[in-house]
Amino acid sequence: MNDSTELHDVVMVGAGPAALAAALYTTREDIDTVLYEKGVIGGLAAITDWVDNYPGFPDGLAGLELADKLQKQAERFGADIRLGEVQKITNTGNLKEIETTDGLVRAKTVLIATGSDYKKLGIPGEEEYYARGVHYCATCDGAFYRDKKIVVVGGGNSAVQESIFLTKFASHIDLLVRGDSFRASEILQQELKKHSDKVTVHFNTSTERIIGKEGKVTEVQGHNSKSKKELSFAVDGVFVFIGLLPNTGFLKGSDIDLDDIGMIKTNESLETSMSGVFAAGDVRSGATMQIASATGEGATAALMIRKYLEPHA
Amino acid sequence: MPKNITIFTTNTCGYCVMVKKWLSAKGHAYEEVNLDTDPIRQQEAIALSGQLSVPITVVTKQDDTQEVVVGYNLAKLAPAVS
Repeated sequence: MNDSTELHDVVMVGAGPAALAAALYTTREDIDTVLYEKGVIGGLAAITDWVDNYPGFPDGLAGLELADKLQKQAERFGADIRLGEVQKITNTGNLKEIETTDGLVRAKTVLIATGSDYKKLGIPGEEEYYARGVHYCATCDGAFYRDKKIVVVGGGNSAVQESIFLTKFASHIDLLVRGDSFRASEILQQELKKHSDKVTVHFNTSTERIIGKEGKVTEVQGHNSKSKKELSFAVDGVFVFIGLLPNTGFLKGSDIDLDDIGMIKTNESLETSMSGVFAAGDVRSGATMQIASATGEGATAALMIRKYLEPHA
Repeated sequence: MPKNITIFTTNTCGYCVMVKKWLSAKGHAYEEVNLDTDPIRQQEAIALSGQLSVPITVVTKQDDTQEVVVGYNLAKLAPAVS
Protein backbone atom coordinates (compact mmCIF):
# COMPACT_ATOMS: atom_id res chain seq x y z
CA MET A 1 0.00 0.00 0.00
CA ASN A 2 1.15 3.55 -0.69
CA ASP A 3 -0.32 7.02 -0.35
CA SER A 4 -1.74 6.90 -3.89
CA THR A 5 -4.01 3.97 -2.98
CA GLU A 6 -7.65 5.07 -3.23
CA LEU A 7 -8.91 6.44 0.08
CA HIS A 8 -12.61 6.74 0.92
CA ASP A 9 -14.53 7.91 3.95
CA VAL A 10 -16.48 4.66 4.02
CA VAL A 11 -16.33 1.41 2.10
CA MET A 12 -19.45 -0.72 2.37
CA VAL A 13 -19.19 -4.45 1.83
CA GLY A 14 -22.38 -5.57 0.13
CA ALA A 15 -25.15 -3.61 -1.60
CA GLY A 16 -28.29 -5.07 -0.10
CA PRO A 17 -31.01 -3.08 1.67
CA ALA A 18 -28.83 -2.32 4.75
CA ALA A 19 -25.89 -0.95 2.77
CA LEU A 20 -28.06 0.91 0.25
CA ALA A 21 -29.98 2.61 3.08
CA ALA A 22 -26.70 3.45 4.83
CA ALA A 23 -25.27 4.82 1.58
CA LEU A 24 -28.32 7.02 1.11
CA TYR A 25 -27.63 8.58 4.52
CA THR A 26 -23.84 8.88 4.20
CA THR A 27 -23.91 10.38 0.70
CA ARG A 28 -26.47 12.95 1.80
CA GLU A 29 -23.92 13.99 4.45
CA ASP A 30 -21.30 14.31 1.70
CA ILE A 31 -19.43 11.32 3.08
CA ASP A 32 -17.49 9.73 0.21
CA THR A 33 -19.08 6.25 -0.09
CA VAL A 34 -18.11 3.20 -2.15
CA LEU A 35 -20.01 -0.11 -2.10
CA TYR A 36 -18.73 -3.48 -3.31
CA GLU A 37 -21.28 -6.11 -4.30
CA LYS A 38 -20.22 -9.59 -5.38
CA GLY A 39 -23.76 -10.87 -5.96
CA VAL A 40 -27.04 -9.14 -6.67
CA ILE A 41 -27.55 -5.46 -5.90
CA GLY A 42 -30.46 -5.57 -3.46
CA GLY A 43 -29.30 -8.84 -1.90
CA LEU A 44 -31.82 -11.57 -1.08
CA ALA A 45 -34.61 -9.00 -1.41
CA ALA A 46 -33.83 -8.79 -5.12
CA ILE A 47 -34.38 -12.49 -5.65
CA THR A 48 -37.56 -12.58 -3.56
CA ASP A 49 -40.68 -12.77 -5.70
CA TRP A 50 -42.85 -10.35 -3.78
CA VAL A 51 -42.40 -8.11 -0.73
CA ASP A 52 -45.58 -7.28 1.14
CA ASN A 53 -44.17 -6.16 4.50
CA TYR A 54 -41.94 -3.23 3.56
CA PRO A 55 -43.55 -0.03 4.88
CA GLY A 56 -44.64 2.56 2.36
CA PHE A 57 -45.85 0.19 -0.33
CA PRO A 58 -49.49 -0.55 0.50
CA ASP A 59 -49.92 -2.98 -2.40
CA GLY A 60 -46.54 -4.65 -1.94
CA LEU A 61 -43.95 -4.76 -4.72
CA ALA A 62 -41.63 -7.17 -6.51
CA GLY A 63 -38.32 -7.74 -4.72
CA LEU A 64 -36.45 -6.73 -7.88
CA GLU A 65 -38.38 -3.46 -8.03
CA LEU A 66 -37.62 -2.65 -4.39
CA ALA A 67 -33.93 -3.38 -5.00
CA ASP A 68 -33.94 -1.10 -8.03
CA LYS A 69 -35.60 1.72 -6.09
CA LEU A 70 -33.12 1.40 -3.20
CA GLN A 71 -30.20 1.45 -5.64
CA LYS A 72 -31.47 4.48 -7.56
CA GLN A 73 -32.13 6.41 -4.34
CA ALA A 74 -28.59 5.74 -3.06
CA GLU A 75 -27.01 6.57 -6.43
CA ARG A 76 -29.02 9.78 -6.70
CA PHE A 77 -26.89 11.25 -3.91
CA GLY A 78 -23.59 9.88 -5.16
CA ALA A 79 -23.14 6.30 -3.92
CA ASP A 80 -20.50 4.54 -6.03
CA ILE A 81 -21.59 0.89 -6.41
CA ARG A 82 -18.89 -1.39 -7.79
CA LEU A 83 -19.38 -4.99 -8.95
CA GLY A 84 -16.61 -6.79 -7.12
CA GLU A 85 -15.77 -8.81 -4.05
CA VAL A 86 -14.11 -7.77 -0.80
CA GLN A 87 -11.68 -10.48 0.27
CA LYS A 88 -10.02 -9.09 3.39
CA ILE A 89 -10.20 -6.17 5.81
CA THR A 90 -7.11 -5.18 7.79
CA ASN A 91 -6.88 -2.56 10.51
CA THR A 92 -3.86 -0.32 9.98
CA GLY A 93 -4.69 2.12 12.74
CA ASN A 94 -6.83 5.06 11.67
CA LEU A 95 -7.31 3.55 8.24
CA LYS A 96 -8.58 0.16 7.09
CA GLU A 97 -7.07 -1.69 4.17
CA ILE A 98 -9.62 -3.47 2.01
CA GLU A 99 -8.52 -6.10 -0.47
CA THR A 100 -10.96 -6.43 -3.35
CA THR A 101 -11.03 -8.33 -6.63
CA ASP A 102 -10.33 -4.95 -8.28
CA GLY A 103 -7.31 -4.16 -6.08
CA LEU A 104 -6.55 -2.54 -2.78
CA VAL A 105 -8.49 0.44 -1.40
CA ARG A 106 -8.28 2.28 1.91
CA ALA A 107 -11.09 3.67 4.02
CA LYS A 108 -11.52 5.60 7.23
CA THR A 109 -14.50 3.39 8.09
CA VAL A 110 -16.07 0.19 6.82
CA LEU A 111 -19.65 -1.04 6.95
CA ILE A 112 -20.10 -4.78 6.58
CA ALA A 113 -23.57 -5.54 5.25
CA THR A 114 -23.00 -8.77 3.37
CA GLY A 115 -26.30 -10.29 4.46
CA SER A 116 -27.04 -13.97 4.38
CA ASP A 117 -27.53 -16.75 1.91
CA TYR A 118 -29.89 -19.71 1.91
CA LYS A 119 -28.76 -22.73 3.95
CA LYS A 120 -28.26 -26.08 2.32
CA LEU A 121 -29.86 -29.31 3.53
CA GLY A 122 -26.64 -31.32 3.54
CA ILE A 123 -28.36 -34.51 2.38
CA PRO A 124 -27.39 -37.07 -0.27
CA GLY A 125 -28.19 -35.92 -3.81
CA GLU A 126 -28.33 -32.20 -2.97
CA GLU A 127 -24.94 -31.29 -4.37
CA GLU A 128 -25.07 -33.82 -7.20
CA TYR A 129 -28.28 -32.34 -8.62
CA TYR A 130 -27.55 -28.68 -7.89
CA ALA A 131 -29.20 -26.60 -10.66
CA ARG A 132 -30.28 -29.84 -12.30
CA GLY A 133 -33.27 -30.30 -10.04
CA VAL A 134 -32.13 -28.78 -6.73
CA HIS A 135 -32.60 -25.01 -6.45
CA TYR A 136 -32.39 -22.15 -3.96
CA CYS A 137 -33.87 -19.36 -6.12
CA ALA A 138 -37.50 -19.71 -7.17
CA THR A 139 -37.56 -16.44 -9.10
CA CYS A 140 -34.57 -17.61 -11.17
CA ASP A 141 -35.39 -21.24 -11.80
CA GLY A 142 -39.14 -21.65 -11.26
CA ALA A 143 -39.90 -21.17 -14.95
CA PHE A 144 -38.22 -24.50 -15.73
CA TYR A 145 -40.98 -26.31 -13.82
CA ARG A 146 -44.05 -25.47 -15.88
CA ASP A 147 -46.61 -28.25 -15.36
CA LYS A 148 -44.14 -30.28 -13.30
CA LYS A 149 -44.24 -31.63 -9.77
CA ILE A 150 -41.88 -30.23 -7.18
CA VAL A 151 -41.00 -30.40 -3.51
CA VAL A 152 -40.39 -27.23 -1.49
CA VAL A 153 -38.51 -27.66 1.79
CA GLY A 154 -38.99 -25.25 4.72
CA GLY A 155 -41.62 -23.75 6.98
CA GLY A 156 -40.62 -20.08 7.27
CA ASN A 157 -41.62 -16.98 5.33
CA SER A 158 -39.33 -17.71 2.39
CA ALA A 159 -40.57 -21.28 1.94
CA VAL A 160 -44.23 -20.24 2.02
CA GLN A 161 -43.76 -17.10 -0.10
CA GLU A 162 -41.77 -18.94 -2.74
CA SER A 163 -44.23 -21.88 -2.74
CA ILE A 164 -46.99 -19.41 -3.58
CA PHE A 165 -44.82 -18.01 -6.38
CA LEU A 166 -44.04 -21.49 -7.71
CA THR A 167 -47.76 -22.33 -8.05
CA LYS A 168 -47.60 -20.12 -11.19
CA PHE A 169 -45.55 -22.87 -12.81
CA ALA A 170 -45.76 -26.22 -11.02
CA SER A 171 -48.69 -28.61 -11.42
CA HIS A 172 -48.29 -29.70 -7.79
CA ILE A 173 -46.10 -28.83 -4.79
CA ASP A 174 -45.38 -31.01 -1.76
CA LEU A 175 -44.24 -28.63 0.98
CA LEU A 176 -42.13 -30.48 3.53
CA VAL A 177 -42.02 -28.82 6.96
CA ARG A 178 -39.79 -30.37 9.62
CA GLY A 179 -41.77 -28.94 12.56
CA ASP A 180 -45.41 -29.45 13.49
CA SER A 181 -46.40 -25.94 12.33
CA PHE A 182 -45.26 -23.09 10.11
CA ARG A 183 -42.88 -20.37 11.29
CA ALA A 184 -44.18 -18.20 8.45
CA SER A 185 -46.37 -15.18 9.19
CA GLU A 186 -50.11 -15.75 9.57
CA ILE A 187 -50.92 -13.69 6.48
CA LEU A 188 -48.65 -15.86 4.31
CA GLN A 189 -50.21 -19.02 5.73
CA GLN A 190 -53.65 -17.68 4.83
CA GLU A 191 -52.43 -16.85 1.32
CA LEU A 192 -51.00 -20.35 0.95
CA LYS A 193 -54.39 -21.86 1.81
CA LYS A 194 -55.80 -20.22 -1.32
CA HIS A 195 -53.53 -22.55 -3.29
CA SER A 196 -54.53 -25.76 -1.52
CA ASP A 197 -55.52 -27.28 -4.88
CA LYS A 198 -51.86 -27.23 -5.84
CA VAL A 199 -49.97 -27.37 -2.54
CA THR A 200 -49.97 -30.26 -0.07
CA VAL A 201 -48.34 -29.45 3.27
CA HIS A 202 -46.54 -32.25 5.14
CA PHE A 203 -45.70 -31.29 8.73
CA ASN A 204 -43.24 -33.27 10.91
CA THR A 205 -41.46 -34.29 7.73
CA SER A 206 -37.71 -34.19 7.34
CA THR A 207 -36.09 -34.34 3.93
CA GLU A 208 -33.64 -37.22 3.83
CA ARG A 209 -32.47 -37.90 0.28
CA ILE A 210 -32.75 -36.64 -3.30
CA ILE A 211 -32.76 -39.37 -5.93
CA GLY A 212 -32.28 -38.98 -9.66
CA LYS A 213 -31.89 -40.83 -12.89
CA GLU A 214 -29.94 -39.86 -16.01
CA GLY A 215 -28.96 -36.52 -14.50
CA LYS A 216 -32.49 -35.51 -13.47
CA VAL A 217 -34.24 -35.50 -10.11
CA THR A 218 -36.98 -38.10 -9.95
CA GLU A 219 -37.74 -38.56 -6.26
CA VAL A 220 -37.40 -36.99 -2.82
CA GLN A 221 -37.41 -39.23 0.22
CA GLY A 222 -38.53 -38.01 3.61
CA HIS A 223 -39.34 -39.23 7.09
CA ASN A 224 -42.39 -38.40 9.18
CA SER A 225 -41.28 -38.09 12.80
CA LYS A 226 -44.83 -38.60 14.14
CA SER A 227 -45.98 -41.61 12.14
CA LYS A 228 -42.37 -42.92 11.88
CA LYS A 229 -43.12 -43.62 8.23
CA GLU A 230 -40.72 -43.24 5.33
CA LEU A 231 -42.18 -41.07 2.57
CA SER A 232 -41.47 -40.85 -1.13
CA PHE A 233 -42.37 -38.02 -3.48
CA ALA A 234 -42.09 -38.53 -7.23
CA VAL A 235 -41.06 -35.06 -8.44
CA ASP A 236 -38.98 -33.23 -11.04
CA GLY A 237 -37.32 -30.72 -8.74
CA VAL A 238 -36.69 -29.47 -5.22
CA PHE A 239 -36.56 -25.89 -3.94
CA VAL A 240 -34.89 -25.41 -0.56
CA PHE A 241 -35.66 -22.52 1.85
CA ILE A 242 -34.63 -23.69 5.31
CA GLY A 243 -33.12 -20.57 6.80
CA LEU A 244 -30.13 -18.33 6.36
CA LEU A 245 -26.38 -18.46 6.83
CA PRO A 246 -24.36 -15.24 7.29
CA ASN A 247 -21.91 -14.27 4.54
CA THR A 248 -18.87 -13.89 6.79
CA GLY A 249 -16.46 -16.42 5.27
CA PHE A 250 -14.13 -13.60 4.19
CA LEU A 251 -13.73 -12.54 7.85
CA LYS A 252 -12.23 -15.83 9.03
CA GLY A 253 -8.93 -15.12 10.74
CA SER A 254 -9.66 -11.39 10.97
CA ASP A 255 -9.89 -9.34 14.17
CA ILE A 256 -13.65 -9.01 13.77
CA ASP A 257 -15.45 -11.13 16.37
CA LEU A 258 -18.20 -13.48 15.23
CA ASP A 259 -20.80 -15.29 17.33
CA ASP A 260 -21.29 -19.07 17.47
CA ILE A 261 -23.12 -19.19 14.15
CA GLY A 262 -20.73 -16.86 12.35
CA MET A 263 -22.70 -13.62 12.63
CA ILE A 264 -20.87 -10.38 13.40
CA LYS A 265 -20.95 -9.16 16.98
CA THR A 266 -21.52 -5.42 17.43
CA ASN A 267 -21.96 -2.97 20.29
CA GLU A 268 -24.90 -0.57 20.74
CA SER A 269 -23.36 1.68 18.06
CA LEU A 270 -23.30 -1.24 15.58
CA GLU A 271 -19.49 -1.10 15.73
CA THR A 272 -17.63 -4.41 15.57
CA SER A 273 -14.60 -5.46 17.61
CA MET A 274 -12.45 -3.67 15.01
CA SER A 275 -12.59 0.07 15.65
CA GLY A 276 -14.17 1.97 12.76
CA VAL A 277 -15.72 -1.15 11.26
CA PHE A 278 -19.51 -1.37 11.58
CA ALA A 279 -22.05 -4.06 10.68
CA ALA A 280 -25.74 -3.89 9.79
CA GLY A 281 -28.53 -6.05 8.44
CA ASP A 282 -28.86 -9.84 8.21
CA VAL A 283 -25.15 -10.42 8.87
CA ARG A 284 -25.23 -8.81 12.32
CA SER A 285 -25.63 -10.96 15.41
CA GLY A 286 -29.16 -10.40 16.72
CA ALA A 287 -30.58 -9.36 13.34
CA THR A 288 -34.27 -10.02 12.80
CA MET A 289 -33.77 -10.89 9.10
CA GLN A 290 -36.33 -8.41 7.83
CA ILE A 291 -35.80 -5.93 5.00
CA ALA A 292 -37.34 -3.14 7.08
CA SER A 293 -34.97 -3.84 9.99
CA ALA A 294 -32.01 -4.01 7.61
CA THR A 295 -32.70 -0.58 6.16
CA GLY A 296 -33.26 0.77 9.68
CA GLU A 297 -29.95 -0.65 10.84
CA GLY A 298 -28.30 0.76 7.72
CA ALA A 299 -29.55 4.25 8.60
CA THR A 300 -28.36 3.82 12.21
CA ALA A 301 -24.95 2.59 11.07
CA ALA A 302 -24.61 5.60 8.77
CA LEU A 303 -25.25 7.98 11.66
CA MET A 304 -22.72 6.10 13.81
CA ILE A 305 -20.19 6.30 10.97
CA ARG A 306 -20.75 10.04 10.70
CA LYS A 307 -20.18 10.37 14.45
CA TYR A 308 -17.02 8.23 14.23
CA LEU A 309 -15.65 10.30 11.35
CA GLU A 310 -16.08 13.64 13.14
CA PRO A 311 -13.05 13.43 15.50
CA HIS A 312 -11.12 11.40 12.90
CA ALA A 313 -11.62 13.96 10.07
CA MET B 1 -13.91 -9.23 -28.09
CA PRO B 2 -16.53 -11.94 -28.57
CA LYS B 3 -18.48 -12.16 -31.83
CA ASN B 4 -21.75 -12.13 -29.96
CA ILE B 5 -23.30 -12.75 -26.56
CA THR B 6 -26.73 -14.22 -25.83
CA ILE B 7 -28.30 -14.26 -22.37
CA PHE B 8 -31.22 -16.51 -21.44
CA THR B 9 -33.26 -14.81 -18.72
CA THR B 10 -36.64 -14.74 -16.97
CA ASN B 11 -38.67 -11.73 -15.83
CA THR B 12 -38.10 -12.27 -12.12
CA CYS B 13 -34.44 -13.33 -12.08
CA GLY B 14 -32.25 -10.93 -10.08
CA TYR B 15 -29.01 -12.57 -11.20
CA CYS B 16 -30.05 -12.03 -14.84
CA VAL B 17 -30.30 -8.30 -14.16
CA MET B 18 -26.77 -8.39 -12.71
CA VAL B 19 -25.29 -10.15 -15.75
CA LYS B 20 -26.89 -7.55 -18.03
CA LYS B 21 -25.67 -4.68 -15.82
CA TRP B 22 -22.15 -6.10 -15.74
CA LEU B 23 -21.96 -6.66 -19.51
CA SER B 24 -23.26 -3.15 -20.17
CA ALA B 25 -20.76 -1.67 -17.71
CA LYS B 26 -17.97 -3.47 -19.59
CA GLY B 27 -19.27 -2.20 -22.94
CA HIS B 28 -20.54 -5.52 -24.31
CA ALA B 29 -23.69 -5.73 -26.42
CA TYR B 30 -25.88 -8.79 -25.98
CA GLU B 31 -29.02 -10.44 -27.24
CA GLU B 32 -31.55 -11.40 -24.57
CA VAL B 33 -33.81 -14.43 -24.79
CA ASN B 34 -36.55 -14.13 -22.17
CA LEU B 35 -37.83 -17.61 -21.37
CA ASP B 36 -41.05 -16.21 -19.89
CA THR B 37 -42.01 -14.57 -23.17
CA ASP B 38 -40.28 -17.17 -25.35
CA PRO B 39 -40.74 -20.47 -23.44
CA ILE B 40 -40.25 -22.51 -26.61
CA ARG B 41 -36.50 -21.78 -26.33
CA GLN B 42 -36.26 -23.40 -22.89
CA GLN B 43 -35.05 -26.70 -24.33
CA GLU B 44 -32.31 -24.85 -26.21
CA ALA B 45 -31.21 -23.24 -22.94
CA ILE B 46 -31.14 -26.59 -21.15
CA ALA B 47 -29.24 -28.23 -24.00
CA LEU B 48 -26.61 -25.47 -23.97
CA SER B 49 -26.05 -25.42 -20.21
CA GLY B 50 -27.14 -28.86 -19.03
CA GLN B 51 -28.87 -27.02 -16.16
CA LEU B 52 -32.33 -25.82 -15.22
CA SER B 53 -31.24 -22.38 -14.17
CA VAL B 54 -30.89 -18.84 -15.47
CA PRO B 55 -29.07 -16.66 -16.30
CA ILE B 56 -27.31 -18.61 -19.03
CA THR B 57 -24.78 -16.54 -20.95
CA VAL B 58 -23.56 -17.94 -24.25
CA VAL B 59 -20.42 -16.25 -25.52
CA THR B 60 -19.56 -16.92 -29.17
CA LYS B 61 -15.89 -16.20 -29.85
CA GLN B 62 -14.37 -14.88 -33.09
CA ASP B 63 -13.46 -18.45 -34.09
CA ASP B 64 -17.11 -19.49 -33.54
CA THR B 65 -16.36 -21.58 -30.46
CA GLN B 66 -18.84 -21.08 -27.64
CA GLU B 67 -18.47 -20.67 -23.91
CA VAL B 68 -21.48 -21.10 -21.66
CA VAL B 69 -21.63 -19.50 -18.20
CA VAL B 70 -24.49 -20.34 -15.85
CA GLY B 71 -25.38 -17.88 -13.11
CA TYR B 72 -23.86 -14.53 -12.20
CA ASN B 73 -20.32 -15.78 -11.93
CA LEU B 74 -17.78 -13.04 -12.64
CA ALA B 75 -14.83 -15.42 -12.20
CA LYS B 76 -16.08 -17.28 -15.29
CA LEU B 77 -17.83 -14.47 -17.12
CA ALA B 78 -14.90 -12.01 -17.19
CA PRO B 79 -12.44 -14.38 -18.95
CA ALA B 80 -15.20 -15.67 -21.25
CA VAL B 81 -15.88 -12.22 -22.74
CA SER B 82 -12.27 -10.97 -22.76
